[in-house]
Parts: sequence; C-alpha cells; structure tokens
Amino acid sequence: MRLLTKTTLNLLSISLFIYLFGVIAFYYSLRIQVDNNVNNEMEKRKQSIIRQMEEVHTSNTQPPTRNEMVVISPVETAGLADTYADTLIFNGDEKRYQLYRQLGFTETVNNQNYYIRIYKSLEETDRLIVRIIMIMTILVILLIVTLLVINRYSSQQVWRVFYDTVDKINRYDLNSHEAFRLEESEVKEFSDLNRVLQTMTERIRNDYLNLKEYTENASHEIQTPLAIINSKLELLLQSGEMNEKQYKALVDAYEASIRLSKYNSTLILLAKIENKQFPESKLVSFELILTNLLGNLEDLIRSKKLEVVTNFLPYATIQMNPYLAEMLVVNLVKNAVRHNVKGGKLAIEIGQAFFQVSNTGPEQPLDNNLLFQRFYKSSASPESLGLGLAIVEKICALYGFRVSYQFNEKMHCLRVDFV
Amino acid sequence: MKILIIEDEKSLSDAIVEYLDGEGHLCEVVYTFEEAVEKIELYQYDCMVVDINLPDGSGLDLIRLIKKRSITVGIIVVSARNSLDNKIEGLEIGADHYLTKPFHLAELNAHLKSIHRRISFNGSNELILNEIKLIPEAHRAFVLDQELVLTKKEYELLLFFISNKNKIITKAGLAEHLWGDHMDAADSYDFIYTHIKNLRRELLKKGCKDYIRTIYGLGYKFDLT
Repeated sequence: MRLLTKTTLNLLSISLFIYLFGVIAFYYSLRIQVDNNVNNEMEKRKQSIIRQMEEVHTSNTQPPTRNEMVVISPVETAGLADTYADTLIFNGDEKRYQLYRQLGFTETVNNQNYYIRIYKSLEETDRLIVRIIMIMTILVILLIVTLLVINRYSSQQVWRVFYDTVDKINRYDLNSHEAFRLEESEVKEFSDLNRVLQTMTERIRNDYLNLKEYTENASHEIQTPLAIINSKLELLLQSGEMNEKQYKALVDAYEASIRLSKYNSTLILLAKIENKQFPESKLVSFELILTNLLGNLEDLIRSKKLEVVTNFLPYATIQMNPYLAEMLVVNLVKNAVRHNVKGGKLAIEIGQAFFQVSNTGPEQPLDNNLLFQRFYKSSASPESLGLGLAIVEKICALYGFRVSYQFNEKMHCLRVDFV
Repeated sequence: MKILIIEDEKSLSDAIVEYLDGEGHLCEVVYTFEEAVEKIELYQYDCMVVDINLPDGSGLDLIRLIKKRSITVGIIVVSARNSLDNKIEGLEIGADHYLTKPFHLAELNAHLKSIHRRISFNGSNELILNEIKLIPEAHRAFVLDQELVLTKKEYELLLFFISNKNKIITKAGLAEHLWGDHMDAADSYDFIYTHIKNLRRELLKKGCKDYIRTIYGLGYKFDLT
C-alpha cells in the first residue's frame, strides 16, 4: 500500500469516527438547549395562565392553537412540584402521533386546586434540529473530501522527488557512463536522502572503477611476464639437452602459459567491450566476414566432415564496429564448428535483421541460463576457454541486439536479432 | 642481418637475442627510447623490433622519427596492448608487422626473415636450402628444379619451417602462424598433422630428403643437420 493511500485511509477513518461522535453529542446538546428554551417559554406561559385563571375563573380553557394546548382539571391535592415531560399526542388531522413538551403543575385559585398541563409542540424545533444536522453533515463531508483532495495533490507534489529518486536508483547501472543526478527537493528529509544517496553511489562507483582499473591494468601487466615465460620456455625447448620427462613437463608448462595468455587477452577484450572502447561504427557486411572466416576454417570443417549450408540475404549490412562484428561472427561460427560432431551439419543464415547459426552436436539441449556465462563449458570440450558466448553476449548487449538459444530437430541454434 | 631490439624488459630481450643469434643475426639491445635514438643516429640496421611501451617514450614516436629521417629499416612492433587502434596506427606509420605479447619466437623470426628477404633482394629473391628452392614472391616451391604441388597452407608451412630451420617449432606456434588468432590451438592440432603429412609426402615424392622430424608431444623440427 502506498504511503499516500495509507495516510488518507487513516485520516478518513479517524475523521469519520470523530464526526459520528460529534453529531451525536451535537444532537443531544442541541436537544437540551431546545428543551430549555421550550421550558422557559412554558414557564412564562404558566405565569400568564395563572394570571388569566385568577381573572376569569373559568376552567377547561382551551388555547386556540394546536401547538400550544392547555388542559386544566380540578384536583384535591395541591402543592405538586412542576414536572416537565415529553409526550406523544394523537393528531386527528394528520392521523399520527406528534411529539409535545408537557409542563404539569398545580395551582390554587379561589381555594380550588387545579392541575394544569401545558403542551407545546416540538414538531417545528425537531424539524429544525434535523435540518441543522443535515446541513452540518453535508458541510463536514465537503470539508473532508476537499481536505483529502488537497492532501492527495500536495502529497503527490511533495513525494514526486522521492518517487523520482526511487526510479533512478532502480535504473542505476554501475557500468553506465552517465552521472547519477538526483532532483533537488524543498523537503529537508528528501534532500537529505538524495544527498546521502548521491554520496553513497559516488563512493561505490569510485570503488568499482578503481577495482576495474586495477583488474584491467593487472591484465595488461600480466602480458609482459607471460611473454617472458613463453619465450624462455621456447628457448629451453631448443636447447636439446633434456630427457623425455623433462620435455613433457616443459611442454605442459608452455601450453598452460599460452592458454593463460589467451584467457587474459579475452578478458581484456570483454572489459573493453564493457567500457565501450570501440567507438568506430560503419556499415558491415556479415557475408564478407563469413566468406573470409569459412575460408580460414576450411581445414577444421573438412577435418570434421561437416556439411555447411549457407543462406545469405544479398547486400545485408548492419551498422556497428567492424572488429566487434567480426568477433561476433567468429565466435558464433567457431563454437558451432567446435561443438559439432563428425559428419554433422552447420547452417548459417543471414536474414533481414537477423543472423543465425545452427549446428548438430550433443543430443541434449544446453542450459539457457548458463550458456552465456563466463567460463561455462560443456563437459565435451574441456579445451575451450568458455568465453566465446560471453563475448557474443557482451557485444549484443552493447548494441541492444537480442541473442537467443533454441534446440529443435537436434540442432543447436543461436540467433542474433538486430532489433 | 643487423637487428636492433628496443625492449625494456631485459629477460624478454635476452630471450629474443638468444633465439635470433642462433640464426646468424647480429643483435643489439637497448632498453630506453633515449638509447634507441642514439643508436639509430649512429648506426645502420636492417631491422628493428620495437616495444611500444618504453619507460621514457612511445615506440610509435620512434617509428615516426625513423620515417621522418627516411631511414630504410624493417620494423616489427611488439606490444602488450592488444589494441586495434595501436595496431592500425603502428602499421599506418610504417611498421611492417605488429605482434602482441606474448608471441612465439618462431613467429617473430619468420617475420624478420620475410622482412630481410624483402629488403635485401627487393622481394624478387629465391630462397635456396640444399635441394629446396622457394620463390616467396610467387608462392612457388621447387625440389631439384621440379615444382611442388602445394596448397597455400602447405606452402606457408614450408616457408615457416625453412625460416626456423633446425629449431623445434611447437604446434601452438605453428597453429598461430598458419591460422592466426581465430583458431584455438587445441582445435588445429589434428589438421596440422594432416598438412605436415601432405607436405612431407610431396617433398619426398620429388626426391627431397626427409627433413621434417616429429618431436613427440611437442611439435616439429626442420632438421638439416
């Protein structure tokens, strides 16, 4: 639940609760006030009735209006206290009971005790109270709604910076070369948050860049010692003063150091792709690259007795770095050749905005999740570096191409869509 | 052939000198940009091996200097940076080859030999080794004046062997020379063997002695001894 919704709901429930109590309390206090007023009026009326009775001596005086009735009846006892009560009286005209306020008292006129009841209709005042409460309800609802709307609107204004920050953090990529800039906010809490976040990301980014630079420098520095190792081993091989066992050890060391230098240069290449160090871009013909490559791989293809099927859309070109284009094609095709079986099939297709290499190979599909990871190798070819598809993936990521793997009809198919 | 090696890494330059000395070249080594400039101004060399990253300057500047003075010399650049830009720049300003560290000494030697042939005979030379004769310009090879029928790869193989005669050539070095970076060494071992077999058969058929020796587990040697 969003903070805004949460606070709004809280506000709403509390204000409704308070309002409900408020209305009830208001009703009763109004009621009491009205009763008091009516009582006062009736008290005055009582005095005037007593005065009248003393003057005219008549009983059963009926007031002219229905709203104010007086009932006078002679009684034995006297000196009863004034009693106020609410009572319902049947209205013959409207055929329903109506609420009246009643004042009962005894009075002695000319030694005769009378019990006198004065009635006053509460119909009007009741109607007034209901109306007042209704108007109040409407006013309060209006007030709450306006408050909610204003609150919501202003909250959205205030929180916009916060959501913007969240969004930026969400999209933040350490590798991106764009600076991490957060919006300024008038709210202190948010500007504090943004400031802290900004310093934090800057620090993380610097640490990351340092580490990356360190690894890259290390990779470069490793090349020279490797060159020394390789050349010394090569010299040692020429010396011809060793027995077979020593030769064997030497060859193993030599081959391992060559492998190491291959790893190293491939990792350097991956880092360079990540760092976008291939800015040059032009229209590249994959067909040209493929023709050259297939010529180069001819020996390998022939030794594996592969059936090569090519299907090239004529004049298809793509805008990208020529070296990376070559790396992309070379790695995909080389993979397809290397992991192929003797007498297998290799199909290469260049189409409208896609490039696809399919090959026979192991009978099981490969794990899609692991395929593009560095150093992933299928057990069948322990000699491979396991970096070829990692390079492909990096190049595709750089240009926003989509690379996908499928296994159907016993063919492993890698496809690059130039979207 | 007089060769100047400009490489600040002493162990590496020592190894290069040791390998090339055996080939009958005369090698001089300097370790800094400063020393290199001095040597170039005083002496004449046939070929130079230049490291790009020198402690007091760039090997590329050295090449520019040489070209400015119109000194005729073959140049091979070696660099730890496998950067395409550097490579293109190096070749554009007049280097003959660009090798990335680590490289095979046999490979360096083969390039030096080819530069040597180009400089000393303007390319129109014949390479004669006992009964074998090569015309590198035309990519043709003869044994006892009968032309060998060789594929391009087999011809390159023979040239590489002759350039590094009497030396053990590792399979990795061979693979890299013949197929370049794109081929992983392990893949190519099988058909290196096929090519060698074909080359040897063709040589023997034309009456050549069997110079190619297989050194088990290691590589080959074009043995004239």
